[in-house]
Amino acid sequence: MSKFQLHVNGEPLTVIVDDPNMPLLWVLRDVLGLKGTKFGCGVAQCGACTVHLDGRATRSCAVGVGVAALSKITTIEGLSRDGSHPVQKAWVKLGVPQCGFCQPGQIMTAAALLAANPDPDDALIDSAMRGNICRCGTYPRIREAIHQAAAAARLSS
Amino acid sequence: MSVFAKITRRDFLRQAGVGTGALVFGCHISPQGLFAEGLLGEQALNPFVAIVPVHGTIIISSHRSEMGQGIRSSLAAVLADELEADWGRVVVRPADADGPRYALDNKFYIPVVVPDYRKFIIWDKFSQFTDSSRSMALYYLPMRLFGAGIRLVLLRAAASKFGGVDLGECEARRHKVVHTPTGRALDYGDLRLLLEAQEQTQKGKVQPTQDEVTPWLKPSKKWHFIGNKDTMPFVDAHDMVTGKAVYGADADPQVPGMLTASIERCPVANGRLVSFDPTAALAVPGVRKVLAVLPPGASGGGVGTAFLPHAGVAVLADNTWAAIRGRRALKPKIEWDLRPAGFPLQNADYQSDAYRLELHESTGSPGMKLRSRGDVDAVFAQAPPVVERCYYVPHLAQAPMEPPAAIARFANGRWEIWAPTQSPDITQKWVGQIVLGVPPEEWLDLKVDTITKIREKVTVHVTLLGGGFGRKSKPDYVVEAALLATQNPGVPIRVQWTREDDIKFSYYNAVSHQYLKAAVDGEGKATALLWRSAFTSFFATVYPPPDFAGTDEKKRENLKRARAEALQDDLGYGAGGEYPHGSRIEFAQGLEDMPFDVKNLRIENCEAKSHIRVGWMRSVANIYHAFAICSFADELAVEARCDSKEYLLGLIGPGGPLDLKAEGVEHFDNNGFPVEPLWRLTPDGQPVRGPDGQPIPVLFGYPPDSRRLRAVVERVARNAGWDDKVKQYKAVPNGRGLGIAAHRSFLSYVAMVFDVSLGEPKGPNQLRELTIHDVYAVIDCGIAVNPDRVKAQLEGGIVYGLSLALLGEITVKDGKVEQNNFDDYPVLRIHQMPKNISIDIMEPPDPDKAIPTGVGEPPVPPVAPALANAIVAAGGPRIREVPFYRAVQVL
Repeated sequence: MSKFQLHVNGEPLTVIVDDPNMPLLWVLRDVLGLKGTKFGCGVAQCGACTVHLDGRATRSCAVGVGVAALSKITTIEGLSRDGSHPVQKAWVKLGVPQCGFCQPGQIMTAAALLAANPDPDDALIDSAMRGNICRCGTYPRIREAIHQAAAAARLSS
Repeated sequence: MSVFAKITRRDFLRQAGVGTGALVFGCHISPQGLFAEGLLGEQALNPFVAIVPVHGTIIISSHRSEMGQGIRSSLAAVLADELEADWGRVVVRPADADGPRYALDNKFYIPVVVPDYRKFIIWDKFSQFTDSSRSMALYYLPMRLFGAGIRLVLLRAAASKFGGVDLGECEARRHKVVHTPTGRALDYGDLRLLLEAQEQTQKGKVQPTQDEVTPWLKPSKKWHFIGNKDTMPFVDAHDMVTGKAVYGADADPQVPGMLTASIERCPVANGRLVSFDPTAALAVPGVRKVLAVLPPGASGGGVGTAFLPHAGVAVLADNTWAAIRGRRALKPKIEWDLRPAGFPLQNADYQSDAYRLELHESTGSPGMKLRSRGDVDAVFAQAPPVVERCYYVPHLAQAPMEPPAAIARFANGRWEIWAPTQSPDITQKWVGQIVLGVPPEEWLDLKVDTITKIREKVTVHVTLLGGGFGRKSKPDYVVEAALLATQNPGVPIRVQWTREDDIKFSYYNAVSHQYLKAAVDGEGKATALLWRSAFTSFFATVYPPPDFAGTDEKKRENLKRARAEALQDDLGYGAGGEYPHGSRIEFAQGLEDMPFDVKNLRIENCEAKSHIRVGWMRSVANIYHAFAICSFADELAVEARCDSKEYLLGLIGPGGPLDLKAEGVEHFDNNGFPVEPLWRLTPDGQPVRGPDGQPIPVLFGYPPDSRRLRAVVERVARNAGWDDKVKQYKAVPNGRGLGIAAHRSFLSYVAMVFDVSLGEPKGPNQLRELTIHDVYAVIDCGIAVNPDRVKAQLEGGIVYGLSLALLGEITVKDGKVEQNNFDDYPVLRIHQMPKNISIDIMEPPDPDKAIPTGVGEPPVPPVAPALANAIVAAGGPRIREVPFYRAVQVL
């Protein structure tokens, strides 16, 4: 059993895990019950498990809990209290989700992109988002929603 | 759907002691009627709708599974629209498995006895089977009738409460009935209103029938939601973007101590477990148990066993990570029998390369004739110029975004299941028959008391699906959870598949080989067409081939009889073919209904044996049939030096309903829908005529009609600016070109144009880099009930089609699937997207009479051929096999 101090969605937490190398994904889902972060591939290929570590989009299936403990962790549950993040609002407005399973990961990647680049062009969006697979094929709307969220964020700032 | 079981509505109603006849309100759902269980609790108005008195909340059950198509929103909104419900006071609730409850026996919603309706419609069986793009086609009219019927009951009750006023003075508006002359209003939740409605309906005075309700259906100009992209609700959007949406792995059984299972499965279909040593796995911290899913020596899932899981050993642990680690330790400690004695197929010898040649050979000689007109042989005998081509599509895996997962708990002799399943009622049936130990020879035809027992003992709650695409129609992963739960009474067991499990243990789309040969005249026009299709039918997986019963004579007899009965059944899913041939369902997916107007025609199906589980993937047999025929049409155009679009229109001809029966197609499956309308008949067999003198259809006809195909082709060509662009690209050849394809599937018509360019040859293979500039798509789906979701399905269908066309390939070596995860089974990513996608939806000529048809699957089939045709037009190679990345450089 190993004990780690984590900082998740603004709160300090202590977790006890049976393997010190447990990926952050399973700590979030199985230990902390934060199930908005999804398991899609387990090998950092699909992006469904994307969270922020100190604001950077990170595949939580490929980061051990020990490494994650060094950063502030934000999950989809902590991106906003009520779905009011500009990215979430744009996602709803444009009806981006289909099955919705990959969308927490897409949204976390998009939010990190916009935090670093307030006005990304398509090429920048593609390079930031290419690690996130959507089998339903919501890509055209993801692109559009990121532009729209960027515009909304600029307006409100 | 007799292949899975025979829980018929008749049986259910007989058992429940419930009569049929009433359209709505109380008596169907409970013989005691409304308020039977108290005054203020939730009151069921009919199988789909309940109301909370006083509060007035309307609860609509969503009996079809939500997997991204938006059906939870669309069907509920259709009902709410007709009901004049205030959407803010509507709750949509996922329904548990309860197939007969939601089944629409025609006698129920259309109170007319049509002796042969069962030939066409499956809705008295597995009503929750969310598959084949037909939720809206099946339930649009019933939902409207339910909504309008309840509205009518409330109107009548209100008219009485308003002092016996004329019904015409009352109007339903936003959850209220209003007496228009006085402005008095009664809210839908008003107890006085509901008690009056109860009083009236229970006395049987005003049980509205379909005939009574039909005139009360709202005219289209009064629709709030139907057909309106701006007002149509999207119930799950907020939960989906905030991480609150509950998928298979997220469900909470509300019982502590849940264990997570990761299962190591036998890598070869039908293989068996010999033995395993759990010691190493049990040494991993967090691992609690190591258990065989099926006992050692038992038949494992594979060909002919439908949804029986593969043989497997499960590691049960406190958390997913411990289960996965335990499983890694367990893997080398399992012994499998990959060649079980007495089993008729050598699945461990299955090699994709060799099998491809086998299919090629199979199409080299005449197969089973499906359709024919004129005399193809006589034309070919005259030694005309011919064009002969072959097309190949490998196995494909659905790879839904959430890998399969399910939770089961066994307690007090009952099983409770939480599962992301496309087939709640079939899941219930399969879990029940396996955990109760029903012998396999009875699976095809369960006894009524077995069905009753299963329905009592197995509860299936349905979560959201993280994608389905056909994979989650097959409940093998749920059965695994149930089998493990049985071995751990009281403990919830969550089975979590990894992505590798999902890729290696799919029910793969068929591997197929298509052979086409056309004779052409001096102008390049096709005068004769021969088409031979060979594919591994999914019926070899869901129906045991006859020799599978081994040497046990009794078993062989039982199996033979059950299979024969199933083959007799004219219902769509009873239409299994004679192994190793395909089924009527697969034939009807773009093969038998080949739309081209060629004078001499013969279509054949050639043998293909199965050595792995085959299932269906979004658009199924249409994938390989459309790829072949739409590519071949373009090859003929190229040979004739003719414009591809003009040539395609020439092949379609002026168009009209295809008379398949006249050309030897006895039973055209037509996605389970009738080709011709069924007319309402008087007792002496004459058509009943409406006020306009026209016969009244009981069921609509959905004939394959090449006029509608022609219309989408013309429209997409116009949208794409085909003629101008073709001229422009030809004037200055710079590696850019247009390709076109059109296909009918799931009763809808889709045409697509791809505009692509190819770069200079590069790399060791001198491949040219493909850029997809524009995709234009047009769909004719009768009426788009939820236009934004229809558009989304087209966008997504194009992406899905591009994934399979450019990248899709599952290969098998020694019976084992070679791919593992998204690194070696890649799917399309955002940077590989077409630059622009343009979607156009055909408007119905008369929205009031329009009937919706399929949307989820029809966008997929035209993608591969339209793209392949565009690549040729851009000066690239003719691609006759999937995946395309071997022939062009994919970004």
